[in-house]
Amino acid sequence: MTNTTSLWGQAAAPSKPAAAMAAATTEPDLTPSRPLYDGKLGELYVIYLRHLMLMLLTLGWSRFWGRTRIRRYLWNHFAILGDRFEYRGRGIELMVGFVLALLLIAGWGGLMYLVWIYVFHERPFASFGLFDIFTLSVALIGFPLAYVGHYAGLRYRLSRTRWRGIRCGLAGSAWRYGAAATFLTFANAITFQLLTPVVSVNLARPRITNTRFGSLPFIFAGGAGDIYGRYIGYYFLNIIAWLVAAGIFFTAIGGAVGSLGISFTEEEFQKLFTRPSLRTILLVAALAIGLYVVFSLLILPLRCWWQAYLFRYLVSHSRAGNVLFATAISTRQMWGFLVLNYLIVVLTLGLGWPWVMHRTLRLIAAELWLYGAPDGASIRQPTDLGPRYGEGLLDMFDVSGV
Amino acid sequence: MASLARFYDGETALVHDVSVRTTANELVIFRLADAGILARWPIGELAMLGDIQHEVTPPIVRKGSEARLVVDDPELRRQLASLVPQLAPLAGTRTPPARRIAAFGATFAALVGLFWLAVDYGTEYAAPLLPYSLQVKLGESVFDELTADKAECHGEGGVKALNDLANRLAKAADYPHEIAVHVMEGGPVNAFTLPGGILVFYFDLIDQAKDGAQVAGVMAHEIGHVVHYHPMKGLVRQYGIELLVKLVSGGYSDLLSTLASGGNVLLALRNGRAFERDADATGVALLEKLEIRADGIASFFEQMMAKEPKDSAAVAGIWSSHPPTAERIDATRRPSSGKPPFSDAEWKAVRNVCR
Repeated sequence: MTNTTSLWGQAAAPSKPAAAMAAATTEPDLTPSRPLYDGKLGELYVIYLRHLMLMLLTLGWSRFWGRTRIRRYLWNHFAILGDRFEYRGRGIELMVGFVLALLLIAGWGGLMYLVWIYVFHERPFASFGLFDIFTLSVALIGFPLAYVGHYAGLRYRLSRTRWRGIRCGLAGSAWRYGAAATFLTFANAITFQLLTPVVSVNLARPRITNTRFGSLPFIFAGGAGDIYGRYIGYYFLNIIAWLVAAGIFFTAIGGAVGSLGISFTEEEFQKLFTRPSLRTILLVAALAIGLYVVFSLLILPLRCWWQAYLFRYLVSHSRAGNVLFATAISTRQMWGFLVLNYLIVVLTLGLGWPWVMHRTLRLIAAELWLYGAPDGASIRQPTDLGPRYGEGLLDMFDVSGV
Repeated sequence: MASLARFYDGETALVHDVSVRTTANELVIFRLADAGILARWPIGELAMLGDIQHEVTPPIVRKGSEARLVVDDPELRRQLASLVPQLAPLAGTRTPPARRIAAFGATFAALVGLFWLAVDYGTEYAAPLLPYSLQVKLGESVFDELTADKAECHGEGGVKALNDLANRLAKAADYPHEIAVHVMEGGPVNAFTLPGGILVFYFDLIDQAKDGAQVAGVMAHEIGHVVHYHPMKGLVRQYGIELLVKLVSGGYSDLLSTLASGGNVLLALRNGRAFERDADATGVALLEKLEIRADGIASFFEQMMAKEPKDSAAVAGIWSSHPPTAERIDATRRPSSGKPPFSDAEWKAVRNVCR
């Protein structure tokens, strides 16, 4: 039986009757706790700026090591039940993964060259060159490969993550996940996004149920049917919100232009855009902010409302053995996660990344609740060491955060 | 109360509250509750994972084992650090970040500046140094792409006359490589230059030219691009700035690259306008050096202006790849004195190059 009383245990003091009941029967121990994140933004920036500096000096080749250092810092400043996570990936593993993906693409390019030589050389379509074939085909294979890379990247990160000395892992085939994700996304697109709950649940399920902590698998007990009602509501509210937002915006512009009595000749109008004065730039900025305000007031909260709901649903239908998960993340917090984080990155030209990562981990630490503790004695170290290289495809086809 | 240390056995997910004792050559790990010994690790096989800057409590391991000892208590950490040489870094503390942020930040900003300068000015010198065969290969492949759906004209005397003039002009600028002129059927009324000394004329331009001097003017302008390696420089500069943006965003975000590509386009256009001015000036200078009449560039522009009085380059302003045409006419206006660029027979052949 593990019984660690520690600095980080944030167990709520159990009320007396509940404690008495637990002693009398064989009810599961559902002591609530939250993770603890105690990273410091300043320290994270030291690591990040050093990484950026080396990126410039090495023309980007240091990124594998930089990423690894950032992960080590974040993982080890994140603790559950008083035990810190450990990230033991190595930069060289990421680099080998990247080089392998590069070779894969080079191989594909060679294949396309042969196709071009033997199939298209007579030029059935006059302006269809080698470069077009390559770009088109990479776009085609890149879409499913991004999903495959996502899954494989998750597997790599989990296999390099330890808690209480035990490795995590991800079972299942990345290719099958890639195929399912491609199919579902495509089906969703041709049904006007009406399949979104099916897509969300069916892409979350393999990722959750294949996750392992040592020998302990995670369990997901959700279904798309549970969330369809809310989604349909969101779907139609979203359409209405778009119409209202467009209406407000155009009325406002029309009103402003009309009331100020501004009218442009064609020439003045052209001059406005090609020789922008400070006043024009400010005006355009004001318009952009206005558009952003209208858009963000109506559309984005709605989206965050749905995303927060979906996230609460997915988390609270997952468990690991007898540890239950729950979150009460609110629409506002989801806005901070999705919209504010995006703005931070864009407005700081990327320098805000550490801040965004810091905010995200603080959010998780504040809003993720665990009930109970794992039965340490029954969880074994996995025999499987995980993939030898990591994240090559992810690096190639997709934006990968930490 | 904080624990002294935790021991993870590496086989199960159990956590043991432990303390340690060191003997002459061993680290003995024992349970706090009942002093039961959990592990005896030879001092020589101890190692520390990570460092104090990234990990809060770098785990202590025995080499080859999955078990971990995490020492929470600072005093116990100090003791171990002083007793075991490999664990000495455990006693370190983190330096306050402010000064290091300032140092790394300043270095980073300086490097961004240097990189920018290197890209903006370095291409001036680096682009011509690229192996010429590579430039030719690149130019030829772009030529194939751009002209795949057009027919090339091969009127013998015409192509030869154009190539002769082009190579005379290039030689006058001490350009060490051969120039290849291609004439494509149809329009637009334009000519352009590709890497590797490849010049492309559309026949509509030749057709609408009033005399040989105008064609020679356009030709001299394009040779100006060639001898300054403008096509190569443009390419290198564009990729350089793209790379810089990628690096500055830490390799994390494609979003920023998208955002930055807008700025990059404006920059390329600004460079483009500077290139055009250079090419105009060089073109006129080369014609004058060969004592060929150099009024062709200005008169060709005037003819274009008369046809289409609205100056699209001036209208487009910062979005234009070329400077305003009126400005270019003023800069290139020359008297009509000098030798004709083509003999009568040559000019006739050029006019008939597509027939």
